[in-house]
Amino acid sequence: MRHALRLPTYAGLGLVYAYRWTLGVLWGGQCKYHPSCSQYALDALRHYGLVRGAVLTGWRLLRCNPWSRGGVDYVEQQRIFH
Amino acid sequence: MIFGSPLSPLENLLRSILDWLHSSAGLTWAWSIVALTLMVRLLLVPLMVKQIHSMQNLQLHAPQMKEIQRKYKADRGKQQEELMKFYKENNINPMASCLPMVAQFPVFIALYLVLRKFAKSHPGGDLSWLHGFVPDITAHANAHWSGYVLLAVYVGSQILSTLLMSATMDKTQRTMFLILPLTFIFFLLNFPVGLVIYWVTTNLWTVGQGLVTRQMMPKAQPPPKRSSRTPPKEEIAQDGAAPEPEPEPAVAQAAVPAEPKRVKRKKKKGGARR
Repeated sequence: MRHALRLPTYAGLGLVYAYRWTLGVLWGGQCKYHPSCSQYALDALRHYGLVRGAVLTGWRLLRCNPWSRGGVDYVEQQRIFH
Repeated sequence: MIFGSPLSPLENLLRSILDWLHSSAGLTWAWSIVALTLMVRLLLVPLMVKQIHSMQNLQLHAPQMKEIQRKYKADRGKQQEELMKFYKENNINPMASCLPMVAQFPVFIALYLVLRKFAKSHPGGDLSWLHGFVPDITAHANAHWSGYVLLAVYVGSQILSTLLMSATMDKTQRTMFLILPLTFIFFLLNFPVGLVIYWVTTNLWTVGQGLVTRQMMPKAQPPPKRSSRTPPKEEIAQDGAAPEPEPEPAVAQAAVPAEPKRVKRKKKKGGARR
């Protein structure tokens, strides 16, 4: 049952891995953050599930723009969800 | 269709831009795709200008960054982390960022959806490109020999753009980037030719942009090796023998603070086992 509930999360993880092995490699910029955005997405999905993980990932992607500073930024440091 | 609903606004937008380019600007569908691609890339130019600035800043700090990379050669995660810390300390804005790339992603999928609808219901008008070189842009790339030509151009442009953009990459990463376009051919064979046109156009733009950027960038300063070698030159002239090991002690001294730490750690580990 627990595994069934986590199925959507697995689907999300699968999408990130699919991106990593296709377009990510092709276009792949090095990210300005550590860990990179795709790694952040994997961590966020694993820790927070599909919905909250996706929100965290989206917020990270928005922050990863040319005007931001970048730097070290782990999922555990997020302050959106408590 | 997973992408259908969230992307339909974008799909409609692309469709209406294409329609406008086709009916009002009088372009064929294929040239409309090229024009649309150029418009997308033009919108991304401000991002590029910003990136050029940070790239120049990055080059100023290249020697220190090389040092960090050398120091943490074994642990790539640690190396990345230290680099990021270095950026922050020195107020460097790293060149790469995910958003401009991710922003192109939905455009690509939406264009794919538009072209698929084109194939289902013919939009009317000319679907060929370059006087029949490509007979139908909604057909799969493997349907006509011109598709293979385009794919060859795609691979070439992809490799070129990688070579231009990969100055900071390490070797294995770079090789992977160069091999991957070849494997992508097998996927692209089943894509509509119009999509390959999009990809070729955007790649050629990247190449052009890379060339322009190169012109604008100050040439990388020759490494400081020379300055340390120039003084002995006079001695060479006098003695005929070059005292080569001169610069070595400086490097050794710089490395000294790191060495004892490692030794200490090893000792601690040994102590814990006792």
